[in-house]
Amino acid sequence: MTSSRKFGPDIRRSILYYVLISFFAAVVLQLFNMQVIKHDFFDEKSADNSIKGIVQTPLRGVFYDRNYRIVVNNKPSYTLLITPAYYSRKLNNVIETVIGADPGYIDEILTDNAQYSKYLPIRVQRDVTFQVISWIEENKEQLPGVSYIVDMEREYPDSIMAAHMFGYTKEISRKQLEMNKDYYDMGDFIGNNGIEKTYEKYLRGIKGVKYVLVDSRRKEIGRFKDGRNDKESIKGDDLVLTIDADAQKAAERGFKGLKGALVAIEPSTGEIIAFVSSPQYDLNNFTTVTPKEIWRNLNSDPDKPLYNRATLSANPPGSTFKPLAAIAALEEGIITPQSVINCPGGFYFGRFFKCHGGAHGPLTVEHAIEKSCNTFFYQLILRIGLDKWADYARRFGFGHKTGVDISEENRGILPSTEYYNKRYGRNGWTKGFIVSLGIGQGELSVTPMQLAQYVALIANDGKSIKPHLVKGYMDPETNRLVPFRFDPIDTKVSRKTMEIVKHGMYLVVNGAGTAAIAKIPGITVAGKTGTAQNPHGKDHAWFMGFAPYENPKIAVAVLVENAGFGATWAAPIAKSVIQAYLNKSGTPKKTDVPNKQNAPNKPNVPKKQNNGLKGEEKIVEASIKN
Amino acid sequence: MRPRSRIDYQLEDKFDVVLFLSVFLLTGIGLVAIYSATLNNPSASGNFGKQLFWVGVSTSIFFITYFASPRSFSLVSVPAYIVTVLLLVAVIFVGKKVYGQRCWIDIGFFNMQPSEFAKVGTVLFLSTFLSREKTNIESIWSIISGFAIGFIPVVLILMEPDMGTALVFISLTVVLVFWKGISLFGLFTMISPGLAVFSSMFGTVAFIICLVAIAAALFFFKKKLIISGAIFALNVSAGYLFNIAFKYLSPHQKQLIETFVDPNADPLGSGYNAIQAKVAIGSGGLLGKGYLMGNQTQLRFIPEQWTDFIFCVIGEEFGLIGSLIVVCLFFFLFFRLLKIAASAREKSEFNSLVTVGTLAILFTHFAINVGMTVGIMPIIGVPLPFLSYGGSSLMTNTFLVGIVANIYRNRKQYT
Repeated sequence: MTSSRKFGPDIRRSILYYVLISFFAAVVLQLFNMQVIKHDFFDEKSADNSIKGIVQTPLRGVFYDRNYRIVVNNKPSYTLLITPAYYSRKLNNVIETVIGADPGYIDEILTDNAQYSKYLPIRVQRDVTFQVISWIEENKEQLPGVSYIVDMEREYPDSIMAAHMFGYTKEISRKQLEMNKDYYDMGDFIGNNGIEKTYEKYLRGIKGVKYVLVDSRRKEIGRFKDGRNDKESIKGDDLVLTIDADAQKAAERGFKGLKGALVAIEPSTGEIIAFVSSPQYDLNNFTTVTPKEIWRNLNSDPDKPLYNRATLSANPPGSTFKPLAAIAALEEGIITPQSVINCPGGFYFGRFFKCHGGAHGPLTVEHAIEKSCNTFFYQLILRIGLDKWADYARRFGFGHKTGVDISEENRGILPSTEYYNKRYGRNGWTKGFIVSLGIGQGELSVTPMQLAQYVALIANDGKSIKPHLVKGYMDPETNRLVPFRFDPIDTKVSRKTMEIVKHGMYLVVNGAGTAAIAKIPGITVAGKTGTAQNPHGKDHAWFMGFAPYENPKIAVAVLVENAGFGATWAAPIAKSVIQAYLNKSGTPKKTDVPNKQNAPNKPNVPKKQNNGLKGEEKIVEASIKN
Repeated sequence: MRPRSRIDYQLEDKFDVVLFLSVFLLTGIGLVAIYSATLNNPSASGNFGKQLFWVGVSTSIFFITYFASPRSFSLVSVPAYIVTVLLLVAVIFVGKKVYGQRCWIDIGFFNMQPSEFAKVGTVLFLSTFLSREKTNIESIWSIISGFAIGFIPVVLILMEPDMGTALVFISLTVVLVFWKGISLFGLFTMISPGLAVFSSMFGTVAFIICLVAIAAALFFFKKKLIISGAIFALNVSAGYLFNIAFKYLSPHQKQLIETFVDPNADPLGSGYNAIQAKVAIGSGGLLGKGYLMGNQTQLRFIPEQWTDFIFCVIGEEFGLIGSLIVVCLFFFLFFRLLKIAASAREKSEFNSLVTVGTLAILFTHFAINVGMTVGIMPIIGVPLPFLSYGGSSLMTNTFLVGIVANIYRNRKQYT
């Protein structure tokens, strides 16, 4: 009894009272802790929970030609998506039937992507038809986890293909993704080759994000803050190319059924007017994921359509190299324009080097070019000397990459003393090695791109600008062209020398030369043929030329593989390109009014703007190097 | 001499305004919160209307109870206890299984929850038993009988199984015998086996620590060695027996116990709910996100939020201010009940016991529910009185408060 008296009702009441008070204090403190002190932490958690950012892929920039005609465009395409978290593999059969895929196709894709979050939608098939999309819409209830998005894909509205120049985009590889995580996500497309690759950073645009509210099942149920926090995607920059769609078309037509390459350049600016490597491949097969079968066919084709002959194929330049020796000899004072060398039908140096077409007799340098006399140039190169000759060749862009804005390029072979020493040892080679270099044969190879740059330099009296395919990009705000700047090239050859060589080339077409076939009524064409000796088969044909002779607007280099003599196959293609470019109503000049339909208010750009945009241009150069 | 004029009573003399208002406001806030919690949930769209109906029914129950004869409660206590215990037996056999528990009996127009009504039977019958003149709280048989009355429902409810409600009955029983005046030793003797069982859930080390503490307490009480020894042996065997019994439990029952012991063991089940509940409340901040604007609530991150997690709705949409208003209303109610219980003791021990029993039931619910949602208690599902959706719970609680209001009305012998 004593204990219970000490421990009476009042104490019992107090105990309950303090239990209540202490619990009240604990709850209040904890609420304060959660709702005031740790509020930011929980707020963020809550936002993470229910707000999902959806990346908005920007439209890729389109390509205009030099006259503002759209040559590469975008078009919408539907992509089928599956979100594994909500999807049941029981549906595989039905979907495979509807999209026309092989059994097991979906299973394979799902397994491939098993390592990623099952809440991330997987692109199962691109470019599905509208019928498939309607089917999904109609059967939404029975197709949990199946959805689609509208992707944009490339479209080539003009009939020009220019596969090697434009290039294509490709789904980013895992390796590329690792290296560029700051911009790209799984399933993104990235420029794979050609202009698409070089100018990727301009074309891709800036991604946007749309915030949506999702419920606890990640189901979208509305916009977050009515889209006030959303970021619109910004379309990639539209590029203005240097090519002329008509000239390009003519070039592509000319190569039908032929293998080879053509590059046409505006001599004064280095702007590439046409760029062809033949055979081509159909870019329309590369707008989405390319079917394996097409890849197989392209890779096993003996004509190697994927190979960019314009910048990668290197062959001996043949007689097209004779003007180079002439330039070197004239510049170095080894000959004068009046110097005469006799052609008895060949030249003996250790062995007999044969000329063609019998004996040409005594020739000045102009006529030696006109007649393409081998004897003249055998002797000339010996007089010039290997290294002096190689120096001039280097000045005209041989032996190193032209730096055209397409990443895949071959430097070719330009021999020099150093080169031979390295290759054969100091005493392992003789002067006899040099003789055939005078006529562009032997251990010498050039790409069509290099040859085009060379003929452009000749046409423009030794000065030009690095050849390039893109003029600049359209400023989306002002809708004006922001030009890229390219380095100038100066061969430091005198105008007088160039006049003589050009006249020689004039005679090739208009005199008693080898390329009368290239004559165009009303336009004076100058040119030079060449034959590249081919140890693997029939010789390759070269032709290079420029027009109009008086004031060159276009310089062309053409290679036709296994076509034998240069004039027969190569010169007519060059001729049609020159004609297409120059014979248009109103020859395109810098002051041309752009095609209104495609590019309203797109003016030509005054030269002054060049200087004002130096900062911008620096970035450009840096990015092009990448 | 008879008084000439009638005594002019104030309203407060017969009607406890604080008691009524706090319950009234809590129920109103409950309706507001249920509306928000079910607004965007098609499966629960009818719950607000139903709750409105139960509020109407409960209001009638409150006033009927308030005006009932003060003697009627002790009279109905025995039949009330027997009927509700029988219902608890019935629910084990005919109960509707929801999430592995059999807590409800479907009686057509509504799912009845017998464990709620059993609170009424138990609090009335145990109070009647303890307030008998024959009952001597110092005697071992009275203590055992008292605990038996309280623990028969506990065992039945654990078979459903419903850990939370069982805890409410344990708390009710302990508070009533405590209020009756059990000695510390008596209380210790009754509670210690429970502690032994509880500690054994947490492993051998916890069990041994608990046994050492019990041994120390027994030493402190300085009872005869044979009695101390017997109590100690009882504790040891309780712990062992529980572990043997545990093996025969169903997987679901085992999981319930395991989650109770370690919430992180099941982060996607109830552990997930606990995390989301905290996120909801914490993100509410000082002023809340605004009514119907809480994304945790409206986007259904917390399942069945209109029942056990209703406090999150208030915390998220009305912030600290709203939460504090609710918490304060509860504590007005609790302190009021404690005061009435203390003042009723002189006139009627039964009345005092029923009042403190009501306090025990309501406070235990509050402590487990709010403690769980704010993360200071383990995760056990019990409804929050007056706020959570549910007819059985609301009717039971208003009936209990009605009895207390009746007790208040009759606390003095008015002329």
